[in-house]
Amino acid sequence: MAVVDVHRFAESITCHAWSPDYSMVALCPNNNEVHIYKSSQDQWERLHVLQKHDQIVSGIDWSSKSNKIVTVSHDRNSYVWSLEGGEWVPTLVILRLNRAALCVQWGPKENKFAVGSGAKTVCICYYEQENNWWVSKLIRKRHESSVTSVAWHPNNILLATTSTDGKCRVFSTFIKGVDTKDSKAGSPVETKFGEQIIQLDLSYSWAFGVKWSPSGNTLAYVGHSSMIYFVDDVGPSPLAQSVAFRDLPLRDVLFISEKMVIGVGYDSNPMVFAADDTGIWSFVRYIGEKKAASSGSSYSSQFSEAFGKFYGSQSKSATANDASESRGGVHDNCINSIVSLSKAGSPKVMRFSTSGLDGKIAIWDLENMQEELGHQF
Amino acid sequence: MAGAAEFVEADNAIMAEIETKSQKIESLLKHYKHIEALKTALEGSPLKTNDERCKSANWTVVHRVIMTIKDIDGMLNALDAEYYDTLMKYLYKGLSTGDEPTCEQCLEIHEKLTERAGLGCILRCLTDTTNTV
Repeated sequence: MAVVDVHRFAESITCHAWSPDYSMVALCPNNNEVHIYKSSQDQWERLHVLQKHDQIVSGIDWSSKSNKIVTVSHDRNSYVWSLEGGEWVPTLVILRLNRAALCVQWGPKENKFAVGSGAKTVCICYYEQENNWWVSKLIRKRHESSVTSVAWHPNNILLATTSTDGKCRVFSTFIKGVDTKDSKAGSPVETKFGEQIIQLDLSYSWAFGVKWSPSGNTLAYVGHSSMIYFVDDVGPSPLAQSVAFRDLPLRDVLFISEKMVIGVGYDSNPMVFAADDTGIWSFVRYIGEKKAASSGSSYSSQFSEAFGKFYGSQSKSATANDASESRGGVHDNCINSIVSLSKAGSPKVMRFSTSGLDGKIAIWDLENMQEELGHQF
Repeated sequence: MAGAAEFVEADNAIMAEIETKSQKIESLLKHYKHIEALKTALEGSPLKTNDERCKSANWTVVHRVIMTIKDIDGMLNALDAEYYDTLMKYLYKGLSTGDEPTCEQCLEIHEKLTERAGLGCILRCLTDTTNTV
């Protein structure tokens, strides 16, 4: 198996983020606090507890160059925390939201961050040097429902969002004075803030977990109907593919290379998707299984009980339990977050971490799995 | 409104299609070609339209075929994966009728179909509110 470390930090983890050197992790144990743990010799030691929010912290991101933590919460606020003299000092960011903030991500240049909210808006926040505070600019148009996930394109201008209205949209977040027009850019980038570049109507149900590929050429996001959507050549004529898979829906995805994506969700076991040489994406395998795994009735024990009741006298022992090896694995409950442990902007992700409702964070290493994963990795 | 007229026209076209389909299916069933019959019934299901008549007409046709199926495994073997989602939706429709023989049959097929298509298939039925049968 590719897991190198598993540790249970709390009863349930909402979200997590890693420090620039990956030695510390900031996580929300499903309450209004953020705990920072440091790993030392196989032990995890809790260093700081950041208490400023009044309600559950729904998103955390830790910038790798400027070493700042941004947190957003259901209390409609956001704080940017800086390390000063060994203590984390918060700075309030006035988001001007009247609903909960749901997700946050630092832009690649770390001069902006994006917040998705239940107010059907996306806040783009940047630092204003003159007044020494963070200002938020809202993208009010377009979204018909809560924004569940945001993702920055490597060019620091385009932002992809997914929403519970089932659509995935890409916006321009060009801000005068913060962004510079890149005159040598290959494709012309919309330079109006809040301008919608593209809207993808692939999903009929809630959409989550959008991510860009390392080059920014491909987008992937998931729908609650056990489908994952891939869009190549995002732009005026995109190539969209919907992949339906067997099992429970996913919540988040991560590109581990240009042609390979790992999805995590309600099955508690990461799934690998890859694009073959013709560009067609499909499900490859679960990450923890051997290639010869049975695709038959490998449901966990709670399902076979439920199926037993449902089918009553008609069911035989068809719902066999080879659950322990294929499904048991690392997480016991839904995995809701997957974070890369490789430097941002690197074309391949060798290590990543997952956190879930079971309160565990698992660290996965793909070093020894190169052969098993194939040449797309 | 021109739009509404278009819809009615399209719906009438679908009704006509379903008529022809049902005749074809009757003859297939007479010749014991159950699998062919099911494929024909599921093909061209009126998922996109909102018209109740089309939906119930197609449901009658599909129901007829589902009730005649004895060899479920064989039937699922021969059915293309793209029809699994549609079949699952019809199974749930069948289960909602509350009619004993229909429910029994639908439940049996449901068990086998879930084994084959996985929980994702059920999820797609539940979450898809735009393409309904």
